[in-house]
Amino acid sequence: MSLSRDIVIEVKEVSKSYATGGREVEVLRNISFAAGREFVAVLGPSGCGKSTLLRIIAGVEKPSRGEVVFHLDGKPSIGFVFQFPTLLPWLTVEENVLLPLMARGMSKKEALGNAYRALKIVGLYEFRDFYPNELSGGMRQRVNLARAIAVNPDILLMDEPFSNLDPLTAENLRSEILDIWLSSLLPIKTIIMVTHNVEEAVLMSDKIVVLSPRPATVVRIIENTLPRPRSRKASEVQELVDKVYEYVS
Amino acid sequence: MLTAEVAWELLASTGLSLARMVASYIISFVVAVFTGVAMAKNKYVEAVMLPLLDVLQSIPILGFLPAALVVFVRVLGPAVGAELSAVFLLFTSLVWNMIFGVYTSVKSLESSVDDLARVYRLPLLHRYMYIYLPASRNSVIANSIVSWAGGWFFLTSAEVLSIGKTEYSLRGLGSFIIKTYAQGDQTAYVAGLTMLFAVILLSYLLLWNPVAMKYTQTKALVGFTRVYEELEKAVSRIRGLIWERLSSAYSVIRRKKGRLAVAILFPIILDVASLNNIDLSTTSWLSGSWIYIEEFLVNLPLTALRVYGVMAAGLALTIILAYISHMMPRLSKAIVMLGEVLSSIPAMMWWPILLPALGGFPTGIMFFIYMQGSIWYVFFNTIIFGLTRVTRELDELSEIYGVRGRLYITKIFIPSIMPSIVAGSISSSGGAWNASIVAEHIRLGELNIDVGGVGSLLSRYAEMGDMYGVVLTSLLMSVTIVVINKLLWARLVRKIGGTYVIE
Repeated sequence: MSLSRDIVIEVKEVSKSYATGGREVEVLRNISFAAGREFVAVLGPSGCGKSTLLRIIAGVEKPSRGEVVFHLDGKPSIGFVFQFPTLLPWLTVEENVLLPLMARGMSKKEALGNAYRALKIVGLYEFRDFYPNELSGGMRQRVNLARAIAVNPDILLMDEPFSNLDPLTAENLRSEILDIWLSSLLPIKTIIMVTHNVEEAVLMSDKIVVLSPRPATVVRIIENTLPRPRSRKASEVQELVDKVYEYVS
Repeated sequence: MLTAEVAWELLASTGLSLARMVASYIISFVVAVFTGVAMAKNKYVEAVMLPLLDVLQSIPILGFLPAALVVFVRVLGPAVGAELSAVFLLFTSLVWNMIFGVYTSVKSLESSVDDLARVYRLPLLHRYMYIYLPASRNSVIANSIVSWAGGWFFLTSAEVLSIGKTEYSLRGLGSFIIKTYAQGDQTAYVAGLTMLFAVILLSYLLLWNPVAMKYTQTKALVGFTRVYEELEKAVSRIRGLIWERLSSAYSVIRRKKGRLAVAILFPIILDVASLNNIDLSTTSWLSGSWIYIEEFLVNLPLTALRVYGVMAAGLALTIILAYISHMMPRLSKAIVMLGEVLSSIPAMMWWPILLPALGGFPTGIMFFIYMQGSIWYVFFNTIIFGLTRVTRELDELSEIYGVRGRLYITKIFIPSIMPSIVAGSISSSGGAWNASIVAEHIRLGELNIDVGGVGSLLSRYAEMGDMYGVVLTSLLMSVTIVVINKLLWARLVRKIGGTYVIE
């Protein structure tokens, strides 16, 4: 566990409220946790503001109070796996993956190298000239993932990445992401994944941050030290799942 | 026989008219993209621009004439000023529906696309090149086809700028045809008309139709793709260079965002500013205006009846033509091609063209020109893009369950194309109103016909040189249209839109 003590991201007392229809709606209240070089699952019921929290970490949204601190040299490079693939239909698979790289002013050659490697990792290199509407839902989600890892992210953020896939496809993609993560193929230091699936959180993560319903507060932070590979049938996995369910409900 | 001198004049005129059209199209395109995106992305811009655009698109081309004359000609002198006026007037008949096209396309993008742009910090230039422009591509193409026709339709009005005794006739195809007709030079007149048909036909066959065929699913168009493909290749060869220029232009625009807004407000600022140039000393402003308002109110019902009658007939005709096109796809290409040419013929030309046949029946010609100004917005929207909504699945469903005849038309066919009909309808009513200035009044050579109405009123003010009357009546008319749209049309659209849009 020494690695996870090496803190990468600190979420410090983050709160967020929106003004809608003249009323103030509080979504997040005093969320604090730290993430080291580890896989963190943020678990909470639907609509509790998990995605908002992820967007705040990504810097897309500003917190009303509190801050997110990165302990990295320089600006963090962030990869984001959207809940829906969010691919541009008029660009090919390759061009979709290239877009963020070109936006950073990377040379065409270097960008192509990165994009091809990312596409090979997710197994879609052969499909690089296809358009998104020619791919299955699972393949589109893989392009979404390839786009995120192509930017060589320090931090990979995932917003319920499996919630819109059929169970079988979801299962495959889960193990692929774990393989990428555990093989240290990429310089990813931290993964933060938002989910409402308890089993998924237990099977994948090193740390589970359990959030309450709206306004979301941190109910509990659970260190998940179960040995890998984890099988959903293993009794210790089942035990942890049951335990986490108690905190959620 | 056409003398070499006249032939040369004809070629030069054609080139100049084409150059004017291209220039105003490019300006319209740029303005449409920036304004449309700004409206979709910024709610303050949206709140200001939506009603403003409603007013602007309802001002007939004559309404912008005083502004153009005062600002461009008086400030820059007749040589440069008249030329800029013509481009400006063409711009005002091209740009509005293009802005709406970009606006609705960008507005309907999913919000996650914004997140994507923000998470990966796409610079604005990249957002335009990879998101906003491609997202609005189809609707820009659809609107370009109509706008291009709209530009030709008002070509003569833009090339012969006349108000009172002041007249600036620019060298161009529109003025060439008018001049030769007025002088009774039959050969030159027919040659000019033929040239006009040829240019219009070629611009569709070689450019617009291939573009639309490439990027949309329409099967209703004819075109030769080779020329366009060569053009695209040439463009892609210099793309690197364009990209570089764009980048540097972008950094300039970023510093001067505010100026952009002024550029859009330009037409209205000009219009109001031109009022200051008019001498109001003899009568007091209010009593002077009252005469114009009274005249306007007297003539309003006449024009309103014609406009909405023509619109209803146009809608019915479009539905019939759409049905024929759907049942006989081969015929549809001919119908659309014919439409593209007919829609582009300058309004004023219809008088000399139709007079020999309908000489004793000027009202018929009037209705024809009205129809010309109005039907095409619905026609192209429906036949080129609406018919792709009548999918094979729907037809198979009808076949399996034996839905035929009237039941098929009312329950399957019309509901499927309804979104396109509705989308084209507002522009179509605006188009009919704007056509009134050329439909209700003509003075060309020996020809002098007037059937009354707001359009004729405007044309007569322009002939008398009454700038104040032109601007005031234009604004009155435009406000009336907006009010009618808001009270009647918008409700209808909301009702229909809610029921028929199936995604």
